Amino acid sequence: MKTIHIFLIFLAVALVQLVVPAKMIFDKEVILKTGTIYKFKTQPIDPSDPFRGKYVTLNYELNTAESMDSTLQREDRILVYLEIDSLGFAQVHSVSRTKKRMDIDYVEAKVQWYDLKDKSVRFQLEFNRYYMEEFKAKPAEEIYRANNRRGDTINKTYAMVAVKDGEAVLKAVFINEKPILYYINTQDK
Amino acid sequence: MKSRLLNDLPELLEHNIISNAIASDITAYYQSKTKGQSSRLFTIFGVLGSALVGLGIILILAHNWDNFSKLAKTVMAFLPLILGQVASGYSILKKKGIVWKESSGTFLFFAIGATIALISQIYNIPGDLSRYLLTWIVLGLPLIYVLKSKSVMLLIIVFATYYACELGYKFGYGGKAPWLYPLILLVTIPFYAHALQKKAKTNSTAIFNWLYAISITIVLGTFINSNWSLGFLMYAMLFSLFYNLGQLPIFNKYQLRRNSFLLLGLLGTVLLLLILSFNTIWKEMTNDHIVFNSLEMLIGIILFISASAVMLYSRKYKRNSKFNPFQYVFILIAVLFVVGYSNYGLGAIFTNVILFLLGLAAIKIGVNSFRFSILNYGLLIIKALIVCRFFDTNMSFVLRGLLFLSIGLGFFLTNFFMFKKQNELNRKILK
Repeated sequence: MKTIHIFLIFLAVALVQLVVPAKMIFDKEVILKTGTIYKFKTQPIDPSDPFRGKYVTLNYELNTAESMDSTLQREDRILVYLEIDSLGFAQVHSVSRTKKRMDIDYVEAKVQWYDLKDKSVRFQLEFNRYYMEEFKAKPAEEIYRANNRRGDTINKTYAMVAVKDGEAVLKAVFINEKPILYYINTQDK
Repeated sequence: MKSRLLNDLPELLEHNIISNAIASDITAYYQSKTKGQSSRLFTIFGVLGSALVGLGIILILAHNWDNFSKLAKTVMAFLPLILGQVASGYSILKKKGIVWKESSGTFLFFAIGATIALISQIYNIPGDLSRYLLTWIVLGLPLIYVLKSKSVMLLIIVFATYYACELGYKFGYGGKAPWLYPLILLVTIPFYAHALQKKAKTNSTAIFNWLYAISITIVLGTFINSNWSLGFLMYAMLFSLFYNLGQLPIFNKYQLRRNSFLLLGLLGTVLLLLILSFNTIWKEMTNDHIVFNSLEMLIGIILFISASAVMLYSRKYKRNSKFNPFQYVFILIAVLFVVGYSNYGLGAIFTNVILFLLGLAAIKIGVNSFRFSILNYGLLIIKALIVCRFFDTNMSFVLRGLLFLSIGLGFFLTNFFMFKKQNELNRKILK
């Protein structure tokens, strides 16, 4: 094969290498710009990823829903339809395996188990990684703990998530209307 | 490396031992020799350097700087990628040497990882490590062919193994079979085949031999789900396939240490049989409910068929060569599993018999061909078997005694017959 041909193939490969990350950015930007914002009550815990660094795992309180579908199994994907409760937080409208003909926002979730007794399904929301600066993930977890003592109903920790067409982008994590980074930065000073 | 001869040239010239023309010829010869060596060294350092720089960039980005704006972070994400692409493009267009291609390819590979990592961080993209690794591998895969880069090939196999383990080994925590791993390996095969045909003697090809064998051995276990006992069958068949691959003319011409398939097949088969020689293992295995229409069984059967095909092919090429029981042992092992599943005690006994025969066969081949490595391997198999039986408390003392007795008898008889045969030969020669 001639050098110019190899070079042309390389150009195509390089283009794909550029387009794939760019498409990732574009898709997320569209959701952030035009999606509906939901607040999900949550608690952060910090693990780490060898290539992408520190993040906090968000354990959402929204993790169960009533369902009559007893065939649901671990690792199955379900669609969780959302609505907003009286306090402005996201709650489950209904869950389903397939897309319903409804004009309600939904997100994908992974089934953890089905409870035959309660006729309910336990699931995990996909957007549970919040990347943070290396030395801020652990303090974030501690600040959350300090602000959420047992039985505390005043303090609220929640994730702000943009949702559009079943896709979700996690924007930020808040404790009482202020981003978690605010608490970390004031603690540093 | 300077030759002593080169140092002595002025002295030789002075005493008129050699002419000026010969002296310059010698100098030119050594110069051309060191040139090749230095370029190889440059390649290794270039690749190592780019790999370290690439990994460094990934780690620095993994700090997740939150003081930078989203735009600044995005620019940072694409900078190493574009840099790597320009360097790789330049080395293709200007027909640069191996040093350029290997170094720029390695850097570009890591730059891809850095870019998608940073974007995942900026947008909190969900998904675990395996999904991220897969995107990285797929975007880097074509570089093997466009840059003809061995180092990228090496990285791809290592990362594909990492991906498969990350996805598959969750230890009862919902691990999934990494079906894309065999596909990734399949894409790399043409490059490997080319290296085997054209550059069989190079170190890089020997490294590929080992890399493939080790990677496949590690990853096969990810396909074992609930039928763990069939995992033994899968691995036994894999090692037999490896051994028969190692017997193919394309690998057989290698020195033993470069023939990874033969070595790993040989060691793996014996180690696996040693594990299976324990009574308790078979008891546990037969307690496990065997599902015949399972993925594990299917893979076992596919590997069995592949091993048979490779064995027949290699026999066709070496029709005159002597009978080698290691090549056929997988058929016995397949029978062993049928026997063992119906009666576990029989399974254990049958395994011991197979191992013993393999040991004897190795000793016989070793003696006949005067190859001490094979002779010692045979002795090692039998010794290991004896040690294993000594610790096997589940067996009755009478049975253990009988086993030891028969091994001792076997030794005595083989030696006796060998001795007799030798004597006969000597007598014939004397006559």
